[in-house]
Amino acid sequence: MTTNDNSANHPEAPPVGFLARTLFSTDHKAIGLNYLWLALFSVFLGLAMSLLMRIHLVWPGIRLPFLSGSTLERYAALTTFHGSLMVFLVLTAAPQAGFGNHFLPLQIGAREMAFPKLNRLSFWATAASLVGLTMAFLVAPQTGITLWIASVTLFCAASLCNGINFSVTTIDLRARGMTLPRLPLTVWAWFINAILSTLIFSTLLAASVCLLSDRLLSTHFFPPLNFLAGQPANFVATFLPVLWQRLFWFFAQAEVYIAMLPCFGLVTHLISTFSRKPVWIERLAVLALCGVGVFGFCVWGQHMFVSGMNPFLPLVFSLLASSLGLPAAILLISWLGTLWNARIQLNTSMLFAIGFISLFMAGGISGIFLARHDLAAAAASDEFITGHFHLVMGVAATFAILGALFFWFPKLFGRRLNESLGKLHFWLTFAGVYLVFMPMHWLGLLTRANLYSGSRIAAISAIVAPVRVFITVAAILLVIAQGIFLVNFLWSLFRGEKVEERNPWRATTLEWSVSSPPPADDFGATDPVVYRGAYEFSVPGVAEDFVPQHLAPEQVVKAR
Amino acid sequence: MPGTTSVPEIELIIEDIGGGGGGKPPAGGDDGDDGGDDEKRRRKESHSPRRYSTVIAIALVSILMFFMALASAFIVLRRGSDVWVTVHLPPILLANTLILLASSFTLEAARRRLSLADPSGFRKLWLLTTGLGILFVAGQLIAWRQLVAQGVYIASNQASSFFYIFTGAHAVHLLGGIGSLLYVSFRKFDQKGISLSTASEITSYYWHFMDGLWVFLLALLYLGK
Repeated sequence: MTTNDNSANHPEAPPVGFLARTLFSTDHKAIGLNYLWLALFSVFLGLAMSLLMRIHLVWPGIRLPFLSGSTLERYAALTTFHGSLMVFLVLTAAPQAGFGNHFLPLQIGAREMAFPKLNRLSFWATAASLVGLTMAFLVAPQTGITLWIASVTLFCAASLCNGINFSVTTIDLRARGMTLPRLPLTVWAWFINAILSTLIFSTLLAASVCLLSDRLLSTHFFPPLNFLAGQPANFVATFLPVLWQRLFWFFAQAEVYIAMLPCFGLVTHLISTFSRKPVWIERLAVLALCGVGVFGFCVWGQHMFVSGMNPFLPLVFSLLASSLGLPAAILLISWLGTLWNARIQLNTSMLFAIGFISLFMAGGISGIFLARHDLAAAAASDEFITGHFHLVMGVAATFAILGALFFWFPKLFGRRLNESLGKLHFWLTFAGVYLVFMPMHWLGLLTRANLYSGSRIAAISAIVAPVRVFITVAAILLVIAQGIFLVNFLWSLFRGEKVEERNPWRATTLEWSVSSPPPADDFGATDPVVYRGAYEFSVPGVAEDFVPQHLAPEQVVKAR
Repeated sequence: MPGTTSVPEIELIIEDIGGGGGGKPPAGGDDGDDGGDDEKRRRKESHSPRRYSTVIAIALVSILMFFMALASAFIVLRRGSDVWVTVHLPPILLANTLILLASSFTLEAARRRLSLADPSGFRKLWLLTTGLGILFVAGQLIAWRQLVAQGVYIASNQASSFFYIFTGAHAVHLLGGIGSLLYVSFRKFDQKGISLSTASEITSYYWHFMDGLWVFLLALLYLGK
């Protein structure tokens, strides 16, 4: 075979230096890993911040780092920092940019992203926005706010470029035979999410540019007066940062789907692989993924064009619930249908995938409460909603990311994560998140209820304080349990059990057809050719219980 | 030599327009045969044009979303405001608009020259288009200076904020287009990477889009008075 010399951006020889191999590399695998390292750093930083908040909430007397001086302001900064780290650098970056960059080209049989240099630029911008967000937390509040918005603008631009890169790669760089119906569901999810990102992040970019110009050039795009005029007087006094409120609305609608879509894909993929069964109603599941994307965008559009710049809560919430319930239910049915009657392999990766389903259902049920606009009005902005979105978005997505990490770790590093430590970590985390976030739902309903009754305020506050202490203690233990993961991760990275075979999970997709970790040019001299769908498990009449996508029909070993 | 087009390049682009893009994966694998080396080579070469025209389509949609978000903010604030101070748009904007529209025509004329295998005619018209583009941006700067001379700054009122942000954001995007025009003019197109015909084609998409976008923004500013 001739060597692969006709793709312009493909590196001729593998670069040698450490920086050249990591930070300055245009290789999709190196960039994907960079994003994952960034997310790993951010998630532990964010966890530390959340602990500070919890401890300060229950024991305000304790002197904590970052909370000296004007405590109210510092606390707000802490919340913002925790939220932006988790939402942007972890939930948005890890499943899409991290795993996506590394595995999307491998799974579709491309050797690179469509625009490798643009890809590297996006990574640099993301890293710079992390630095900016951290600096914003450390400097004086007014400068910090401006810096924060600038960092978010940068992050938007990076995500936009990423989205464009992912879409083009999926459309144009698929291997021979990799037709759309044969795409793995992970690729579908990344692809739909990429399109959603290009649409939504450009809108976010416009918003943040306006906001930035309001702060730097004193323009009047988000006049506080219009918004405040309709609010009661005490509201105005206690709730000044209206600019934040607006930007938050821009983000909140879209970000949930941006974070969740790739996780849906990852979980579907894991469940099918470890159930040794094809994805049940695969076509419908793909349509449901599209539906999440379309509805997610429509909810945004509704917010933007019908209700204009004024958040019109009931309408948005009702639409959200009614339109997104359908694809979410289809995905759930597909997962349960795949699991039904299957020979399930309960390894850590699968445990996290099933944990995801549990969290998704729990969070979805509290979502129904929030979809009722009368209940939403009562529950919004207190602990009920904090519990709800942490469960359904934050923790569920983290479970999907962890499941994917356990699944792909052998491919990424050529070693396995320790299964016993992994399972211990899973069970502690699974119990921990319910112990932390379930009581929050209850607290939210309880503290609201006293507004209406009035007589039992003392009795209720006597219950509330110990529950808050309970949540905080549970949160501390939960974070300590993450130490198990960190130890497991670092230990396995250097000392973990080596994986000699290419396909330890007996999975079907193309990334398992190359050695672990994948070589610099991914597929070697010959381009991969795809002969079948992504989930051919337990095919009747075949010796093995899986048929890889790259296996030609004549190579398939028939059962005796 | 910039401006020279080899026949295979033109054939490639014709094939691309005809929808025979080789990047599309062939259906099915039940036929074991691999298509042969020749087909493989052709398929790989045609990766490039396809991915460039795909990226420009997606990028244009996202740029459209960016400006639609600004436009919807404009419309919402315009309707909701009781104290809207209008900005008197400088007349030079009309001249600028005509210049930009003309540049679209010269660009198309240039591309026709290219398809008729007339590299020098292409180059002249292409440079004329670039010049018109630069003239437009200069005209926009003059419009800004005229407004500043009248005491209308970006922070004066909402209408002026929108005027500056619309024209500014459009000019930034147009500068990207001018960069791309210059790239096509001065890059050496050899066999590697993007071909001249592809580069000029996607530049033309971008340029016409910027053209139409400007007409839309101008209409919005006039109607919003």
